[in-house]
Amino acid sequence: MRLARAGATLVRYPLRSALAIAGVAVAAALLLDMVMLSSGMRDSFRTMLLVRGFQLRIAPKGTLPFDSEATIGDATAIVTTLRQNRDIVAISPVLGAQVHLLGARSGAEVTSFALGVDGAVEGDYELERGVQVGGTDRAVANAAFLAASGARIGDTLDIVTGFDPQLRTYTGRRRLVLAGRARFYYTASRQPVLALPLTTLQAMAGTARRDRVSLFMARVRDGVDPDVVRDWVDRTVPRVSALSVASALKQVDARMGYFRQLAFILGGISLAVGFLLVTTLVTVSVNERIGEIAVMRAIGVSRAHVVQQIVVEGLALTLLGTLVGLAIGIVTARVLNGILGDFPGLPASFRFFVFRARAAWASLGLLVAAGMLAGIYPAWRAASLPIAGTLRREAVA
Amino acid sequence: MPGVCPLLLLLGFVSTAPAARAMRGPDTTRVTVPIPIAIDQQLADDAGLRVGDRVALAGEPGATPDSAVIVAITIQPADPSEVARREYRLHMHLADLQTLVGYGDRVDKFAIATRRPGDDTAVIGRIDDAAFGFRAWRSSDIAVRTSQTFRVVSRFHRAIGGITIVASTIFLLCILLLKVEERRRDVAALRLIGISRRSVVTSVVLEAGLIALVGSAFGTLVGWIGSLIINWHYRGVYRTPLAFSIVTPEIVVLAVGLSLVLGLGAGLAAALRLVRVPPLTLLGR
Repeated sequence: MRLARAGATLVRYPLRSALAIAGVAVAAALLLDMVMLSSGMRDSFRTMLLVRGFQLRIAPKGTLPFDSEATIGDATAIVTTLRQNRDIVAISPVLGAQVHLLGARSGAEVTSFALGVDGAVEGDYELERGVQVGGTDRAVANAAFLAASGARIGDTLDIVTGFDPQLRTYTGRRRLVLAGRARFYYTASRQPVLALPLTTLQAMAGTARRDRVSLFMARVRDGVDPDVVRDWVDRTVPRVSALSVASALKQVDARMGYFRQLAFILGGISLAVGFLLVTTLVTVSVNERIGEIAVMRAIGVSRAHVVQQIVVEGLALTLLGTLVGLAIGIVTARVLNGILGDFPGLPASFRFFVFRARAAWASLGLLVAAGMLAGIYPAWRAASLPIAGTLRREAVA
Repeated sequence: MPGVCPLLLLLGFVSTAPAARAMRGPDTTRVTVPIPIAIDQQLADDAGLRVGDRVALAGEPGATPDSAVIVAITIQPADPSEVARREYRLHMHLADLQTLVGYGDRVDKFAIATRRPGDDTAVIGRIDDAAFGFRAWRSSDIAVRTSQTFRVVSRFHRAIGGITIVASTIFLLCILLLKVEERRRDVAALRLIGISRRSVVTSVVLEAGLIALVGSAFGTLVGWIGSLIINWHYRGVYRTPLAFSIVTPEIVVLAVGLSLVLGLGAGLAAALRLVRVPPLTLLGR
């Protein structure tokens, strides 16, 4: 009954109702997008860091992984030290360097980022085709490298390090077999990347990179707090800085905090806009029906019934708007993700907007609750008016 | 080509303890003549360093450090591309840095000043032809390449701006529609005493326009205050003199113009609907 009467009232003013639903829909879409943005970056970054289960990154003292050209010396000794801690179950040493491909099939000059890894414990990529990095000459490359070089799996690559384009000299040269294609987690999608055995890359880079790595990734035993192991690493190996996922997320918050703050501000504004819109509409609607409400009260309809009917009106507007807004929000999130995905150097797997059902329902539920609250005051005010006086005023008017 | 400035950009590591503290123990630095360096204000503030302090400086962690003396404190230029990185900057003579990091007689790039602005194309061509392996770039081209981040952020802001404009438009249309519909009885009375439809529509549209104008003036004031708060907040967070939010005359004209057009449009649409209804129906008879 209440629902039917509320529906009839909304249908009686179709333009007004349509505008209200559209307004709530846009507010809901923006709110949903901002909730996805505020939690999305952290979730995406966390997922990316933990994709292979390595909870710790160990970089040169005072630096973040691959944030500088600094490397860690005496890598073998450090691995031995780290293995003394029984809570560390796997260590993946990684060396980063620029390499140059000589005589590319495509004829282009191909400069690529190279990762020296231990194929047995690597955590930087997912092998899509072929076989893993191994031996002294088996390498894998990403799609961007294959596209730039025209190389195919099974080809032999002539790779050099320390290439001087002016004198055409280099510090190290190896012939590597392209054994597979991989998708790298932490590099930009358009950046050519090659992974090769760590010892090979160290040897190619000469004395400057002998027994040196850019970082270690460490996997901690299940049930052990990674931050406790991080503190142990910092104490035991003073030349390095260990970074857990929690501390990495703090760095992300510091660098990308702007987006989170923007999300909170715009999310708050959309909630306020939705609330104001429904309040205004319900208030005006109630003011227009003061006489009708007084008649209902006069024929014995209870105050609570009147209040419920008006609240249901506000709730219906908000619910319909929120449902439409959910669809709009998901579409706009994809568009906005596409725009922010063009950030230079951003890993291909990184997402700014991540849909988390719980957060989405909580935020949209908040909007629906705001819409319901928006109807309570005007409804109560209308239902509390003196019946006889109101009817007289309406009759005179 | 009157000026050529070779640049070597490498990361160095500086022990942030001033000499008064760092030199109490045995001096492990390599050289006795300290390297003169200039540090930026942020490093000076964070590490409590002053001009005249001695610090230990190494090319990478764990390497034997050299002794350096702070001879100047600089202020970082307001470079948007650096704002989120929060890196410290340290300047020293090229030869000192080459020695410190074992870079030999190498540089990362040369900055070249031409005699006349129009000379740059010819100079670029001569450099590219003369020295194989070199590639010359205009500073403006490099600026375009390095400003990709800001182009992305700008596109994101425009997209968000588009969504908020749609939301504001609907909100404004709703409010003005309701505002005009509240005047049903007034409009009916005006029509009954013989005021023409045209006059009624004009008065309603003018009223809607006035409301939109006053509202947008108030909104501009709120936006301007918001802009001041944003700049104050982010300048503090990122410790930079950069302006993060600027209220330009073009933005004000766009906001006021848009709300005025929407206000007048909504007023006109609602007024036309009202004057088409017979006055007695508007009065509920």
